[in-house]
Amino acid sequence: MADQDLDSILRRMSQTQVNRRGFMAGGAMAGMAALVAACTGGSKATDAPASAAAPSTPPASAAASEMAAASVEPVFSQEPTEGHLWMYNWSDYIDPGNIKEFQKRYAVDDWTYDTYASNEELLTKLQAGAGGQWDVGAPTAEFTPALVQGGFIQKIDWSKVPNAKYIDKQFKGLWWDPKDEYQMPKDWGTTGIAVRTKYVTEDVSSWKNFFDVAPKYSGKIVIVDSPGDVFVAPLKALGYSLNSVDPTELSKARDLLMALAPHVLALDSDQYQKKLQTGEAVLGLTWTGGLDGLIQDPKTADTKYIIPSDGTLYWLDTWVIFANPPHPIAAHAFLNFIEEPAIQAQETITNAYATPNDEAKKLVPQKILDDPTIFVPQAIFDSGLLESAKDVSTDKNRVAIWKEFKSSIGKK
Amino acid sequence: MSAPATPAAPLGSSREVPRGKRPARDRSGTLVEFWLRSHTWLVYAFLYLPILVVVVFSFNSTSTRVTNWEGFSLRWYENVFTDKAIQRNLINSLTVGFFTAVISTVVGTMAALGIQRAPKWFRMPFDALTYVSLIVPEIVIALSTLVFFAVTIGRGGLVSTITGGPEIGLGYHTVVSALAVFNISLVLLLVQARLSNMDRTHIEASFDLYGTPWRTFWQITFPQLLPAIVAGFLLSFTFSFDDYIITSFVHGTNQTTIPLYVFSALRKGVTPATNAVAAVMLFVTLAILLVGQFLLSRQARRAGTAGAAGVAGMIVEQQGG
Amino acid sequence: MTARSSRRARLLTGVLLLPASLWYLLLLVAPIVIIVVFSFGNSGPTGGYAGGFTTDHYADLIANNIDPLITSLRLSVIGTVLCLLVGLPLAYYIATRAGRRKGLFIVLLVVPFWTSFLIRTYAWLTILGPEGLGGFIGGITGDDSFRILGTDWAVQLGLVYGYLPLMVFPLYVTLERMDRTLVEASKDLGAGRWATFRQITLPIALPGLITGSILVFIPMMGEYVIPNILGYGRVFTVGSSLVLTFLESRDWPGGSAQAVVLVAIMLVSVTFYVWFINRGRRGRDVSIL
Repeated sequence: MADQDLDSILRRMSQTQVNRRGFMAGGAMAGMAALVAACTGGSKATDAPASAAAPSTPPASAAASEMAAASVEPVFSQEPTEGHLWMYNWSDYIDPGNIKEFQKRYAVDDWTYDTYASNEELLTKLQAGAGGQWDVGAPTAEFTPALVQGGFIQKIDWSKVPNAKYIDKQFKGLWWDPKDEYQMPKDWGTTGIAVRTKYVTEDVSSWKNFFDVAPKYSGKIVIVDSPGDVFVAPLKALGYSLNSVDPTELSKARDLLMALAPHVLALDSDQYQKKLQTGEAVLGLTWTGGLDGLIQDPKTADTKYIIPSDGTLYWLDTWVIFANPPHPIAAHAFLNFIEEPAIQAQETITNAYATPNDEAKKLVPQKILDDPTIFVPQAIFDSGLLESAKDVSTDKNRVAIWKEFKSSIGKK
Repeated sequence: MSAPATPAAPLGSSREVPRGKRPARDRSGTLVEFWLRSHTWLVYAFLYLPILVVVVFSFNSTSTRVTNWEGFSLRWYENVFTDKAIQRNLINSLTVGFFTAVISTVVGTMAALGIQRAPKWFRMPFDALTYVSLIVPEIVIALSTLVFFAVTIGRGGLVSTITGGPEIGLGYHTVVSALAVFNISLVLLLVQARLSNMDRTHIEASFDLYGTPWRTFWQITFPQLLPAIVAGFLLSFTFSFDDYIITSFVHGTNQTTIPLYVFSALRKGVTPATNAVAAVMLFVTLAILLVGQFLLSRQARRAGTAGAAGVAGMIVEQQGG
Repeated sequence: MTARSSRRARLLTGVLLLPASLWYLLLLVAPIVIIVVFSFGNSGPTGGYAGGFTTDHYADLIANNIDPLITSLRLSVIGTVLCLLVGLPLAYYIATRAGRRKGLFIVLLVVPFWTSFLIRTYAWLTILGPEGLGGFIGGITGDDSFRILGTDWAVQLGLVYGYLPLMVFPLYVTLERMDRTLVEASKDLGAGRWATFRQITLPIALPGLITGSILVFIPMMGEYVIPNILGYGRVFTVGSSLVLTFLESRDWPGGSAQAVVLVAIMLVSVTFYVWFINRGRRGRDVSIL
């Protein structure tokens, strides 16, 4: 029965339209339903750790609640929280079962969840003065320096977040927060090439190929509406850093982009999966969200997501505590809670994004670990193919090129 | 053209020419009538087509792509009724919509009446501001208003510095007041359009008879303005209920409205969940409206058909209308 | 009027105008002043506003922003005309033929807008897309790459759909006041339908027409969501440009300069438009006092 649960959960989850940058799986519903169904079987999540033994390859949510009981107990003494937590986050970015668990464990009756739809929106609002109203948020890593500089986030008191030790070292000490003071990694993924191999027979395993092949599929190419991601393609095809602000390099990138523009069907961050599904688009510069669904569906099983061989971007979403948080104790308690391996594993299952938490990975079903659209093979990560993004969206040259590109879409 | 010599028909009536009594030469009449009728129905069909699609697919049992019909199901409605967050969002939307509409209608109507008598040096900049409030794109208003709020009622802002009290911060008050700007102008223009066609002689006559502006207003002007006022209220409610950008920028904690929720949720794809939320939003507002309509018409029936026309009707008759 | 009542009249006028004036002052003038100040400043290293004084942003404007402006103008003018063509007969019908159910018709006009705007727009994606009308027509004509979405026409349809009530309501409130006996009299005197329409109905509807076209044209100029979704991101408007500048590149001074120029241009155009249409009409200002 557990296996059946697992399969149905996976199938439902993989059919959801998930987008990158933290847009959550519609399968949260399915996940929650499954979780509730599994939990009502008896083993309700408890706050007292029971046995310490963790079974190998546990099926997903049916065992998650048991895992919560068997997970590592915080060794420090948790202060009582303020009873409130005010979160400011992407829509539905936390597993509902975990929310309930947190509320129960830490006696947080008042949980509010306000949403924003982009990092830029968050930063702009904070810059305009909207701070002081929330405790915790989840911006993308490259915005950390800007948030710190504006005084919008505060240092995390790691003594209150011992579970952070489970985070994989390769996500620590990175350029955006060299001393790891302000953020805690949440999940991560890549930008790459999506292709309907049924229609596109050529090899598109690199950005260079992508540009070469584009004219042949004119009017059937979809690109995400995000300058930081779109610049990756030409810059990497030319062998430059995807964060380049060098005018010469950008100028060459511009030429590639302008040659591509007439052949683009749409700039679309939300519905690219749909366009690929109907065949309106057969090639795309996309994130991984929703592609799982296409791959699982027999009608569109020819869909492939490719991490280009000339390199690409990887993104990391991070937990931060806003400056002057109304409830700092609860905020820290939450960060600690979410990194509990079983809790974090559930997040991975529900959100379908890779977790940076090593202990949690041990509890994630193998099928998910092997899915290249979710977990990038370690080999690729080690090869240096992946570069992290810097927040260069304010660079004047980039802005001008992006504007020019946007105005030229579809125009011959 | 000067004001028409004959007084206008009392409010609510329509002097339609009975069919069949048209002059024979007007054979094109029925054709035009047919065209008017079908045009109207076509437009309503056009307006409701997407709504139909939204409602139909809200019953789709699939949890993935909303247009992949997988069977009839009420689960998404169940979801809406059990999800506290969505209910909170709906209440926020209704609150914001209602208060903005009330304030905009009252303030806008007052302004429309007052502007008639204003001296030119005041009227010109005021008119310009009215247009400007419509012209400035929402993102610009959203950002600049947020900055304004931050500087005045935010932490360390003017107000708390001067009074030494705590910061007021963002909340319903900021959302409503920011949205009201556009809507005040909306109501103002609607009422003005109505006013400019109005018959001055009524008003002057009644003023001579009754003397106080207040009475004149309620008995004469107000009933004739009513369609414009109601139209203004409906539009204000609609535009603040469903506003995204301004609300998103100046709202306070736990004040996410339905549009904000939907915008963020749509990033994960158009699932039947969001359709159900939209459908519920529709049904709730429709229900409120129908109840209001029912109560109003009961009240009108009790008061008699002289109703809104009131004294105006009597005056019209006296002048041989 | 006696001196006393004229003083009272002035007081009353003042009271009537006070709330709106206060609102405009605090929540319109102040934010606009802020925007003007921004437009002359510099952006910070991570965006935002950082003080200083420069006119660079205005200088940059002309070079980069003509295209979006033209796109917006085209969409808005056509959109307004379409709204008028669709809205006027509708308003006329409701005002003159709907009898006691006028109120119902009016409310039913606005009910669709009580569902979420975004979800409505996404519904159009389904209706017009490859699984709907677009695919249907493509199938009939055998044209594999036929598309409704991603073209100007899809955007135009979306715009008319979104703004129709703003045209119909003002027309309705003016037409509803129309004295039908005038129309009958005109016909009895031998004037044809068209002449009657032109000489009786239209002048009465004129204030509503002006208001309607302003209420529709102006917001259409700032639209970017509908062009983005129904236009597949291919239709780049002034609104798209503003959002790009403010949000994506967080260039507040640049965006502010764009906004200031846009507002100035449109204010001049609208004022001119209103004056032009109203010239020759004798002032019909009604005093309530």
